[in-house]
Amino acid sequence: MTENSDDEENDLKSAPGQVVVSSTDDKGVEEKDLQSTRELEIEGEAHLMVTDMDLWYGDKQALYDVTLPIARNSVTALIGPSGCGKSTLLRVMNRMNDLIPICHYQGKIDFEGTEVTDDDADMVEIRKRIGMVFQRPNPFPKSIYDNVAYGVRLHYKPSRAELDQVVEKSIKRSALWDEVSDRLHELGTSLSGGQQQRLCIARSIAIEPDIILMDEPCSALDPIATAAIEELILELKKDFTVVIVTHSMSQAARISDYTGFMYLGRLVEFGKTDQIFSNPKEKLTERYITGRFG
Amino acid sequence: MVAIDSLQPRNRRLRDVGEKSGSIALAGSAVVGLLFLLVLVWQIAAPTVVSGANGEIAGATEFIPENEFLVEWKAANWDGDSSYLTSQILIEISWDDSNGSHVETLNVRVIEEQYISADVHITESGLSENTVEVSKKEDLAIISSMNVPVKIEQISGPVPAADLTGLPEVGDFVIPAEVIVLWGEGPVFEAQELLAWISLLFLTVMLTRPIVSVLPYLERAAKQARYVKIIAAVFALGTMSFGTLSAFLGGLCWWACGVTVCRIGAGVTRLREAGREIHQTDRLLHSISNREDLLLSNRMLIVFAFLFIPLEISIPFLTERFQDGIYPYASGLRAAFYGTIWTMTIAMIVAIPISVGAAIYLEEYAEPNRITKLIQALVTNLAGVPSIVFGMFGLAVFVQQGGLGWGLGPSILAAGLTMGVMAMPIVVLASQEALRSVPSSLRESAFGVGCTRWQVVRDHIMPSAMPGIMTGSILAMSRIMGEAAPLIVVGAAAGIWFDPDPLAALDSGNPFTDFTVIPVAIYQWTGLEGEAWKSMAAAASVALIGLLVAMNSVAIILRQHFRKRLKA
Repeated sequence: MTENSDDEENDLKSAPGQVVVSSTDDKGVEEKDLQSTRELEIEGEAHLMVTDMDLWYGDKQALYDVTLPIARNSVTALIGPSGCGKSTLLRVMNRMNDLIPICHYQGKIDFEGTEVTDDDADMVEIRKRIGMVFQRPNPFPKSIYDNVAYGVRLHYKPSRAELDQVVEKSIKRSALWDEVSDRLHELGTSLSGGQQQRLCIARSIAIEPDIILMDEPCSALDPIATAAIEELILELKKDFTVVIVTHSMSQAARISDYTGFMYLGRLVEFGKTDQIFSNPKEKLTERYITGRFG
Repeated sequence: MVAIDSLQPRNRRLRDVGEKSGSIALAGSAVVGLLFLLVLVWQIAAPTVVSGANGEIAGATEFIPENEFLVEWKAANWDGDSSYLTSQILIEISWDDSNGSHVETLNVRVIEEQYISADVHITESGLSENTVEVSKKEDLAIISSMNVPVKIEQISGPVPAADLTGLPEVGDFVIPAEVIVLWGEGPVFEAQELLAWISLLFLTVMLTRPIVSVLPYLERAAKQARYVKIIAAVFALGTMSFGTLSAFLGGLCWWACGVTVCRIGAGVTRLREAGREIHQTDRLLHSISNREDLLLSNRMLIVFAFLFIPLEISIPFLTERFQDGIYPYASGLRAAFYGTIWTMTIAMIVAIPISVGAAIYLEEYAEPNRITKLIQALVTNLAGVPSIVFGMFGLAVFVQQGGLGWGLGPSILAAGLTMGVMAMPIVVLASQEALRSVPSSLRESAFGVGCTRWQVVRDHIMPSAMPGIMTGSILAMSRIMGEAAPLIVVGAAAGIWFDPDPLAALDSGNPFTDFTVIPVAIYQWTGLEGEAWKSMAAAASVALIGLLVAMNSVAIILRQHFRKRLKA
């Protein structure tokens, strides 16, 4: 069920979530008929706006003309079958795809007046302000404290006391404090999977990004840990804008405000989560969320 | 609660400069490595393929028979400055030839300074020198290349067998005798060094398997951390004041003891404050701050000092006696031992930074294009090139003057550089393997918090790849430590009677640039007649294996340390 499950082992140079393009889809939908939607209603101004994004891995196209607005202080979920380009779309938002040499793209991403896709853009600044949580928990092989403090030290020169406060605040916000407060100097990798993922969230919120991108954060976790993370995401929504890729329809329905359905590299439908799940406009979307394919 | 925006931000320009210089340095090391490899290829190709050598071989000069007269004095008669300690040694040399009869007087000054032998040549025009200085117990060779008999007679001063007082002099009857001392006297162990070593061993065991009954004492001691450290410092300085290597190590051991006591004690206190019992020793291991690093440094110190304190490695065979061609059991490895150590040190200094830098560049920075693939293939093949070819490379590049040559001569520096170049491809391959095994999720997570590429390499990839890099490097070093062939090509000499100076080649006035290493000494001893030499070769082999074991144990400790830090 996970498109990226093998990527941890793969070299970065291979493309994650590479799209398998078939000319005729076995679900009876002609690929050439598919088009990315332009019905993109959100409340208020977009915090981040992806415009006309085309993306290729080598000569295989993975995203077709995708336009997507991300609403401020909301949770936007991206759903769709494996290999549809959800993770790719997510990774292009803070240019993590630049780490893949064969990946190239065309399109614009506006983020608070900054052109993210600009060649001169300060990638460090972008990744500082658009944080990321990955599918597999991947804390640094450092102590719990250092995991959270690392990003802060990277961008600021905090005093010891200030750093302690930032670390405590971040771990508390990621609902991990009670479990680790007495062992901050143990290795981050010694925690359980769910705790590790919350540590990763603490790590990304420590530097106070504006947007947090989450790439299937719960796919490696059990239901209880998943519930904890979901609760946390709802909490984080107050201060941050969250974009989450998920394979769990129920998770998208539970936590997101907006949902985008992607298929074969196109954003087929986008809208308020209630509307998508109760009254989808596209037949494809309906068939997917009712579990008839994917 | 502090708001993140109120913190002082880091200087971005400084970061960019760091990023640039980091990547430039890495690219630079890759270029240097590549340059060496290209020169090597050129060096193999040039003489054979590009320009065939031409010229003619000069005929051998006419054979000149020489008659040698050897004398040596047991005690000095010249203080090396201006005055005679005992009476003057005069040797009268006379001969008759077609030009009539000649009488020449040779003034011999026997000096305290060791290992200087002298030759005086007699030709038709007279003596090559009229005053000559020679060390006591060293040969003075009077060499005649004339075809008439020469009469050599000492006319004054102490005779060759005279003692320190200069007696007997010419005219007395002397029976020459020599006593060879195999083992020096005096205490084998220095008590305070051994005590320091044992204390450190005990405390390090406490770090791994705490003994509950001792912990309260350590806690009480750590409450007075300042006094513990002062006492440790006093002990350390006291021990170091003996001035030998083992005393220095003993001092370090004392200091490490002090630090360890404080850390364990503080850990116990922290454990109590966290509301746990002292016998929960598994928790204690977590409450000692920076325990892994402390363990590493302690273990390294224990292993390294083990060779010098309990084993007292300054046994005469290794560190006192020079290689001797006449008396097997009075012979030793001193020059070869220090030669090996210096060669390895230079090789490490040269090879490891360049190779690791090149590996990082190839793995993390370089685009995977055709040039990178070519370099990769070159490096992979070079790792299998026979060592003697690297010897030729060293000879052409480091030893010889002119052309590509640096003109270092057959010196320890040239040998170290040659060995370093030989180790490079092996270290590059091992480092690349280690870098490749770092999970890409780690890179992603580091980039995700806004690291630059250099910061990712420095803070995340290097620490994770460290065990592999260290193991690879040390294995490469162990391999080149046993190599004799390339060093014979570079010019390792036979009997060296002085301690090698690593930088001697840079000082053009320094005549003592020759060197030898243990494998070459083994090779030479096995070639000598007599059972005793076989034993000496075997002893040298054991010494070499001992050095290898020591290096590999350091590698194992380092690897375990870094691995545990990553995977605990």
